[in-house]
Amino acid sequence: MNSTKQKILEAAIRLFNLYGVANVRLQQIADETGISVGNLAYHFKNKEAIVSAVYESLFDEFSQILSTFLMSPKLTDFNHQLEHYHRFFSKYKFYLIDLFELDRSYPGIIERWHQFVRKMMLQIRKRLDYNVQRGVLMPEPAPGIYDTLTNNIWMTIVFWIPQQILKGQSLNEERFKQSVWSHISPYFTRQGLDEFVLEVEPSKIP
Amino acid sequence: MKPAFTMPPDLYAKMLDGLSNLFFTEKLGLDSDMNFYRDDFWLSDAAVIEYLQLRKGAWEINLLFAHHKTPLKFLSRRITSHSCPKRARTMAFYMRRLAAKDQRGTLSVDINDLHLTLN
Repeated sequence: MNSTKQKILEAAIRLFNLYGVANVRLQQIADETGISVGNLAYHFKNKEAIVSAVYESLFDEFSQILSTFLMSPKLTDFNHQLEHYHRFFSKYKFYLIDLFELDRSYPGIIERWHQFVRKMMLQIRKRLDYNVQRGVLMPEPAPGIYDTLTNNIWMTIVFWIPQQILKGQSLNEERFKQSVWSHISPYFTRQGLDEFVLEVEPSKIP
Repeated sequence: MKPAFTMPPDLYAKMLDGLSNLFFTEKLGLDSDMNFYRDDFWLSDAAVIEYLQLRKGAWEINLLFAHHKTPLKFLSRRITSHSCPKRARTMAFYMRRLAAKDQRGTLSVDINDLHLTLN
């Protein structure tokens, strides 16, 4: 993608985050990019084309995050993936503002969101199973508990940023990761706790 | 927007299981796993003779490897078999030359010796 196109998309993302997709006009995107509307139209024929390109790039990045599943066998692997998730959801804050509007204006996008959500939840669930098998997490105490845990972890990853914005608090990656790990830590075995303290939170070792 | 590649959720779950299992099935090997290579290392410096045996109507090519210092350390391997004794002899000759150390580097193969049929 050439640099002007990239600049337009970056400007569009900034504006979408501030005002929501529905409330941003082409003139605003052109102003934010520092080009004329005519020049903008040369690169993207209308707003739908910009929205499609933004979502294409968003889904590309999301796919890359999903592809980091179990690149290493330790708990740090999930910690790294959480860093990617935090950066992603911070960059595309508009995802939630427009989630319910999307279905009406841009059918097709919501279906792709659903596919990504399903994959994300499957990854979280499989991570739990994997770490149980590895002896880092205790076996599921009762049927269904790890499904609920999966859902809670997913909700924290996806909705942590909006709830911070709602409370007027800053977006801090460390606090984001702590919030996610706090769901998992009660289920650590002794071995899991040792690995977590040594490798995920080495700064906290007294 | 270009159509996205999709995968059924149950297939995706199996793929994730496969990735998880890699860490349990793929482990570092032991040094002793390479013993077969060290055990057979002497073969690279062994004397080799070929011998043919008629078994079940086919000429079997066997190679006998003998240690160059302790000839009682030897190894016999059945390589292949041919129904034609002439071809078996030719193949055995080349196999022996290939398996033995070609100290002078004079080994050459004449394609006509092999009587290849192209049909």
